[in-house]
Amino acid sequence: MYRTLISVLLAFAVTLLLVGFTFSASLDAPPDYRFVNGTEPKTLDPHLATGEPENRIISALFEGLTRYDPKTLEPAPGVAEHWTLSPDLKTYTFHLRTNARWSNGRPLTAADFIYSWKRLLDPALGGEYAYILFPVQYAEAYNAYKSYAEAIRGPLKAKLTALIEKNESIDAARWQSFLAEADAHGPLKATEQKVLRDLLTFKQGSLTREQLNAFSQGLDLEAKLLLEKNAEAREKLGKTAGFMAPDDHTFVVELKAPTPYFLEITSFFPTMPAPRFVIERPGNSSDWFTQKKIVNNGPFLLKTWNVNERIRLNKNPTYWGHDEVRATALDVLPTEQLTTCLNMYLTGEADWLTSNLYPSDLVQDLRHRADFHTGPALTVYYYRFNNKKKPFNDVRVRHALNLAIDRKLIVERVLGLGQLPAFSFVPPGMTGYTSPRTKISLDLAHARELLAQAGFPGGQGFPEVGILYNSNETHKKIAEVIADQLKRNLGIAAKAYNQEWQSYISTVRGINYDIARAAWVGDYSDPNTFLDMWVTNGGNNQTGFSSPIYDQLIADAGNLEPFLANPEGLLSHLKEPAMIRQELESARAGSVAEKSEAWGKIRMQLLREAESILVQDEFPIMPIYFYVNSDLVNPRLRGFYHELEFPDGKRAPNFKDIHPLRDIWVERGPP
Amino acid sequence: MIEAITILVGFGIIASTAWLGPKSAKIVAPLLLALMLYIGGRAGWGQLTGIILAISGAALAYFFAPVRVLRRVAFLVPSLVLLIYTTTLLMYRAPGNPFAGEKVADPQVEMALRAHYGVPKDATQFFFTYMRRLVVEGTLGPSIKVAGRSVEELIGPALPVSISIGLLALALACAIGLTLGVSAGLRPNSLADYGSMTLVLFGISLPNFVIGALFIIVFALKLGWLPVAGWGGYRHLIMPAFTLALPYAAYVARLARSGTLEVMQQDFIRTARAKGLPRNIIVLKHALKASLLPVVSFLGPAAAGIMTGSFVVETLFGVPGIGQWFVKGAINRDYSVVLGTAIIYSGLITSFNLVVDLAYAWLDPRVRGTL
Repeated sequence: MYRTLISVLLAFAVTLLLVGFTFSASLDAPPDYRFVNGTEPKTLDPHLATGEPENRIISALFEGLTRYDPKTLEPAPGVAEHWTLSPDLKTYTFHLRTNARWSNGRPLTAADFIYSWKRLLDPALGGEYAYILFPVQYAEAYNAYKSYAEAIRGPLKAKLTALIEKNESIDAARWQSFLAEADAHGPLKATEQKVLRDLLTFKQGSLTREQLNAFSQGLDLEAKLLLEKNAEAREKLGKTAGFMAPDDHTFVVELKAPTPYFLEITSFFPTMPAPRFVIERPGNSSDWFTQKKIVNNGPFLLKTWNVNERIRLNKNPTYWGHDEVRATALDVLPTEQLTTCLNMYLTGEADWLTSNLYPSDLVQDLRHRADFHTGPALTVYYYRFNNKKKPFNDVRVRHALNLAIDRKLIVERVLGLGQLPAFSFVPPGMTGYTSPRTKISLDLAHARELLAQAGFPGGQGFPEVGILYNSNETHKKIAEVIADQLKRNLGIAAKAYNQEWQSYISTVRGINYDIARAAWVGDYSDPNTFLDMWVTNGGNNQTGFSSPIYDQLIADAGNLEPFLANPEGLLSHLKEPAMIRQELESARAGSVAEKSEAWGKIRMQLLREAESILVQDEFPIMPIYFYVNSDLVNPRLRGFYHELEFPDGKRAPNFKDIHPLRDIWVERGPP
Repeated sequence: MIEAITILVGFGIIASTAWLGPKSAKIVAPLLLALMLYIGGRAGWGQLTGIILAISGAALAYFFAPVRVLRRVAFLVPSLVLLIYTTTLLMYRAPGNPFAGEKVADPQVEMALRAHYGVPKDATQFFFTYMRRLVVEGTLGPSIKVAGRSVEELIGPALPVSISIGLLALALACAIGLTLGVSAGLRPNSLADYGSMTLVLFGISLPNFVIGALFIIVFALKLGWLPVAGWGGYRHLIMPAFTLALPYAAYVARLARSGTLEVMQQDFIRTARAKGLPRNIIVLKHALKASLLPVVSFLGPAAAGIMTGSFVVETLFGVPGIGQWFVKGAINRDYSVVLGTAIIYSGLITSFNLVVDLAYAWLDPRVRGTL
């Protein structure tokens, strides 16, 4: 009997010991505040991370040339104390602070940015955000031209040779579908060879064998040119071109073309510096950012990183602006379960729930609270059509479906948080940009007429449509409402079905769906971040949509110079060429400032023309609504700007829901 | 097809361990045990610990373990290998792969990532890469989705968390379950019986997340005695442990009741009564041990399950345990995490089953002869 008792007591003692042991690892003094970040960061490497939860922590640990001013989100001095822009708007000169340093005391110099930007652009690293630096001279050549050349020399060339062997001549439709299947547009998007450009946009008639052979020779030349450009970029980038460090505290960036949003890029986390002296130590390449190894330069230090438990950030005493950082310690919680998040907030275990981290069913109860803040977001919720599959390869069908959806009903009844119905793809709120007039607002008569013209009067003969969404309650509700509207308004039978995330991604990427739900978050506040994804075979296009004019518009908006040299070729395809002609005139005559303003307007107009192809002509997608951000924030947290406040007294919504941790603090007092 | 044959052959090998002769078992089993202890010890605490564990384990097995136990040990290693192989095949059959992100990556980038993480496109190749890494380098491999962390680094801190909640829950389950079950079994069809069996019914039919939510509403939101969620103090342990314990307590109670009922009608109890032993001695000294048998055989797999955490309880209470990795690994197609958790779970299950068999022998003299 006693033996049993003793063994039971012993087991209990072991349990207690173990419990004590697991807790001892996680004892820190209470922080100033805690916030729920929604998930565990996948990485804290600025050049490899994607996603908002990572963004929040990385932006607290590192600092780029510029940073977001918390009140206006405009670029404020970061590592760069000040900067100048050349008259042609293409060269930025950043003057770095002399007191900027790494957390181990080592001074931070322009060489750190050279290393970091080259690291971001290194194709071997595989950073998804490498393209963010493509406005910089030689950046794309450095990052991608080698793989373009390999794609041309390898699969594309082989497929073309097979095509030429089998056919004497080939008609335009076959040719275009060949180009799409062979993924020709991506690697050839920057070509300057006339023979390639002409044949890529070849839409009528048929091609002879000679023309095909000329194209094939053009490919050889293109691959060679790309490799030369890549070699040149490897030689020059970071030394004599693209970005350079004339001395330790000067960093010069040369852009391909004026890029009005460039300083927003230098505030964005992928362009932040990473410590070469840590990363290149043996054994550090894939875990240099973990708590024992990391050296960083931002306002906070990584004190503790207990996976799935919390991240403790402590104020960084070596940060140049440490006087401006008023919080001394904060905890980042990775809680994912939405009910748990809300409970933690309600009991004071967490002071801030970042965007939409509460059960959406409770919106109606929460929206009247004083600490519940909502605002429009730079995010669009939309459906992709499979543009290659019958019947969605018929533009009239895509248009009809777009016309038959009652978006207002969805935002009001299903969502109910002030979301805006989307009649364009670019959300409102982009400075200097208004979306084109829409042709997709609710119009049932027109929708039925179009459907009848396409051969499905009253929905007769229309195959059953599958609406794919990634498993989520709200997506499910919306898909069901839309399926119901299609049935009722057009007589089309639709079935909503779901897949969990990884399966959903592979289905959408393989374009194996009829209609698929998607959302896109703007990376920076310029319409380009929403529009350049729809270029032919763009990695995020995933609909099969392809329009040469669209591709041309996006390419020209990215780099105006070829367009300015010869505008007429493109202008004849546009809907509103008059406006651009006028700006061209004033750019020709005016001063440098007037010229840059006119160029900016032309660029926006080109993007507007591009968007008009999406919502007036081709309808490859069905925009549904624009998101809102909603945060629950304890009023004791200060430095929060739900509405941006500009020095001239103007106010604007905080579209990107950015709240730099650097500038958030807690008013001390009785708890 | 080749895969199916391989799996069948694997089953054959595993089954054949049951017919190992006493001599060969005495050699094969300690060797395999040493190998396992070495790999596990090295992954957890370094080279030296691995060697010490391996030698002492093998010596213990060689000198003290009976043949049947040795056979069970010999059975462990090939079945773990087969488990890894089968899990690999299943993972590769699932749509998607760990490198499919929302934004499309260059095929070359994917190739580079696959090379870096040691994840070839072919399942069998992956199996060999993984086994080589496990045996030669003694690591469970890097997690693919949690950058910069190996699977040991993820599971290492999570396992003690789950084990401490699990042990507490197990103790609670036994305490509650045995009290209810034995007292019900001693007085069948009494008020106490009906009362406790009604409670048990609740414990079995209410799912974890409902019990947990009820606890949160009462003890955290209404009364404010305990924190809603999180980790960092003993107060964070109480609600998860109770939530985890209740369903197990209910099963234990039912098994203990039927066990007690049956035992109390046995001849040896009647004999004990007839010779005038007081009731509490009969129950505690004679009946309890025998009536525990069904409970013990349930506790083996239950202990493995309870100590490897529960996804529901962990997410509900924001506990950084290992249960989440079972689900996240699968959802993210994080192959090395999936395999790591599978190995740990099956390792625990098989060892607890072994412990249960040994405990049987201790509790029931009739079983001893067969061991």
